[in-house]
Amino acid sequence: MILLESHSVIINDVLTDRFEKASRADIQFVDYDNVRFHLSTPESKTKLLLSMGIQCWPDLVKYGAREHLQKEYEGYLLPQEQTEPEYDVSLVVDLEQLPEGGEARSALISKLAHLKSTAMSSPFLSAFAEESSLQANYRDAGGAQQKDIAEQSETKGELKIVRYREEEAIYIQASNDRVTVVFSTVFKEETDKVFGRVFLQEFVDARKLNALQNAPQVRYSNREPPLEIRHLPGLHNGEDWGYVTFVLSPRHFANPSQAQQTINRIQLFRDYLHYHIKCSKAYMHSRMRYRVAEFLKILNRAKPEVAAEKKTASGRTFRTR
Amino acid sequence: MSRQAPLVIDNGTGYTKMGFAGNSEPSFVFPTVIATHQSASAGSSNTSGGSGARASPPIAGKPSHLASKRGIEDLDFFIGDEAVANSKTYSLHYPIRHGQIENWDHMERFWEQCIFKYLRAEPEDHYVLLTEPPLNPPENRENTAEIMFESFNVQGLYIAVQAVLALAASWTSSKVNERTLTGVVIDSGDGVTHTIPVAEGYVIGSSIKHIPIAGRDITYFVQQLLRDRGESAQIPPEDQLRVAEKIKEDYTYVCQDIVKEFKKYDADPYRYFARFAGEHSVTGRKYDLDVGYERFLAPEIFFNPEIYSSDFLTPLPEVVDTVIQTSPIDVRRGLYKNIVLSGGSTMFKDFGKRLQRDVKAIVDGRIAGSEERSGSHMKSSGVEVNVISHKRQRYAVWYGGSLMASTPEFYNVSHSRVDYEEYGPSLVRRFSVFGSAV
Repeated sequence: MILLESHSVIINDVLTDRFEKASRADIQFVDYDNVRFHLSTPESKTKLLLSMGIQCWPDLVKYGAREHLQKEYEGYLLPQEQTEPEYDVSLVVDLEQLPEGGEARSALISKLAHLKSTAMSSPFLSAFAEESSLQANYRDAGGAQQKDIAEQSETKGELKIVRYREEEAIYIQASNDRVTVVFSTVFKEETDKVFGRVFLQEFVDARKLNALQNAPQVRYSNREPPLEIRHLPGLHNGEDWGYVTFVLSPRHFANPSQAQQTINRIQLFRDYLHYHIKCSKAYMHSRMRYRVAEFLKILNRAKPEVAAEKKTASGRTFRTR
Repeated sequence: MSRQAPLVIDNGTGYTKMGFAGNSEPSFVFPTVIATHQSASAGSSNTSGGSGARASPPIAGKPSHLASKRGIEDLDFFIGDEAVANSKTYSLHYPIRHGQIENWDHMERFWEQCIFKYLRAEPEDHYVLLTEPPLNPPENRENTAEIMFESFNVQGLYIAVQAVLALAASWTSSKVNERTLTGVVIDSGDGVTHTIPVAEGYVIGSSIKHIPIAGRDITYFVQQLLRDRGESAQIPPEDQLRVAEKIKEDYTYVCQDIVKEFKKYDADPYRYFARFAGEHSVTGRKYDLDVGYERFLAPEIFFNPEIYSSDFLTPLPEVVDTVIQTSPIDVRRGLYKNIVLSGGSTMFKDFGKRLQRDVKAIVDGRIAGSEERSGSHMKSSGVEVNVISHKRQRYAVWYGGSLMASTPEFYNVSHSRVDYEEYGPSLVRRFSVFGSAV
């Protein structure tokens, strides 16, 4: 498994099971980045309530998450006031009014399993929209007056900040020909820091491969925040901090499905990074275990053979020569 | 930000049960198996030879570019049901044998996917509760702690003994009015049945007894009975084991008197014989067969092993009694009072009732004997025998873990990251029990 999946396996499994046969449920589980889920049947067996608590909800609401969810989960989303306490979003699925046919049902399941990524995608989507409007404006202006280009190239959208973890955030900024996404990452562990740095530099290098020319441009800066966000107050620039910048060009979000794919990938970037750091460590551990076993073999070969003492029938011993 | 629910992972020989603390059922139950892309020969030497003949981990070919220096062969694997589904192109490995982890390379990768693919949790944000079999060597605990803290950077770790968790799970039963961690756990899974005495949260290692009869044997026995009666002629050969398993799960029960039961069946076979309807998995041909005496004979092999095996002949109640009699004298009363069932093969209807009756008979017999020997001068007040079965029996260990991990005290007794950094892996040799969690 190289890429992490973007849907929640638990939602997927439970719903598939419940769509077959309704039964009681009361399950609490989590997803990456401090997202909590609660799947329950408070009223009757056939009414499934799926609630999600997400840490950066205040940020997401600013960028139209509620409206986006409303559009995506038409008919399932509960209004703000009816949302389960301690959670941010609640959806209700009535098992008696499911769409007919296996395909429609599995589509619904998959849509619900993507609840987190759908909620997280609103700032990205609005940045993409901003980019296209900026681009349109830019073209008009550029065509009219050549000398304004220098000024026009400065056009930038609003800087969107999603504080998706306690200390880490995603910064998204649209400009006329690209959308810049900056991740701030912090490593708690000394070894992780080293791994992370190597890993992120690899990212930058891998981009130079011919096969990956279409991938978004990646930059990595350690300690110092990149220029795009340097003006923000409260940024850390310690040894533990790293900033990864992705530059998405319009071809990465040309059509809605591609845009969604890009969003799904990019919002899991931090988890992807940490997953792979852990995998690398596991790999190194298995190499180390292998080495130790090999060395032990050599050591065991070097052991002097213990000469067994031989005894005569009467119990006296004699030396072998 | 409140703490996030701890992860509860119970890695058994056959199945791994995992989920989040506070739930009543594990979110995932799948075989503890990992499918890797190594050649089958390397795999077999791996499992048979132990660490000495371990196959080297995969290494990528010649480096041509910086980014391709390391291959991704180590990420190419499946676990659980997906592993079984891919067994044609991958080779399967079982990292746990007899309850203990044998292959750490595979186990580490198994956990990798458990956490990241299935539970979808960032281990750095969570505490983790793992289970271990009784008599697990401390080196294994240390290895586990090393992997959890160093590879996964978990916030905290608690390694619990399965039997103790099973005891904790029994608190849900309405029969239990006093929450105690003293009792005998009868843990019967697929491979082996263990009888484990626990006194105040500590396992009495010297008295543990293993019975080589468990779920798989019952399935074989059902299959054998079907074959003897000629019923199996109807079942397609490749489905026989599955059908036997289905019959075992759906139709069997424990009878209180085997002779009476036989008479009942002979007198009115139509009432007691059940019909099993099956379908050929490939051709779709329908077939059905009679389910007869095996309905009560199958679980009977616990109580009369001689009908199935010729080398293990001690009935389960007798084993339980021996286990308690070899335990320290001051806990025996507590042990008789709290005999707890756990695992799928104890789910038969009336299993607990029969066991309680048989153990009680042994105990009463012994008391009567000693009263007589004393010349009827001494009267015993009697010994209370209680077998507790409850609703969460099947995943009792996991459920006990979920229960424990959702108490606030869990955070105090588990080993935290800070402690680990201070003391190193030897930290987990210290054994802390949820003594006062109750």
